Amino acid sequence: MATQILDVKGLNCPLPVLRARKALKDLPPGETLQVLATDPGAVKDFEAFCRTTGNELVESSVEGKVYRFLIRRAA
Amino acid sequence: MSGLPLYILLCSGEHERVQMAAMMASVGAVSERAVEVFVSMNALSVFAKEAPAEGRYRGGPFSRLLNEKRVPDALGLLRQAKELGDLKLWACSMALDVQGLEMDGLVDGLFDGPLGLTKFLSDAESGQMVVL
Repeated sequence: MATQILDVKGLNCPLPVLRARKALKDLPPGETLQVLATDPGAVKDFEAFCRTTGNELVESSVEGKVYRFLIRRAA
Repeated sequence: MSGLPLYILLCSGEHERVQMAAMMASVGAVSERAVEVFVSMNALSVFAKEAPAEGRYRGGPFSRLLNEKRVPDALGLLRQAKELGDLKLWACSMALDVQGLEMDGLVDGLFDGPLGLTKFLSDAESGQMVVL
């Protein structure tokens, strides 16, 4: 299955994390979710979110004002 | 579940405190922590069915900013948290009595029931408590 994309650009804390959680719940284990956000707090937020939930933060990058996270759902 | 359970004692009906309680509860719940919120004192009236949609949240200049910037609605955040994680909301039985409210006078779908402070504090011994 292709990586799903979740666009939460423009959304305030804590909505990016809530939306990501909802999207990950609907994914089969092992599949990946790409999250696009503009909240500067999202970088540390997604690191913490993945650490506490056991999902893997495969990649974290920034392009201009858009932060991109690649998250693999825990098995 | 990971991390200590989070217990939030929400007493204030001020917008920023209700908002922070909802943010903490929702982030905690989606981070796989068990979260319980005990709503007491002036905070309970925020959850009354009869509270007007405009003016449900009381506050000063920061409340106006929260409204202007259209931050996520606190009650909406709590609803999402209940769907996505392990969140329980309790209505303080004393505050219900003082305000002459019944459980069916509170907004639908959020509360798990009335509760006394003794039980809440006893449960909270095993977790982390935040008072707002």
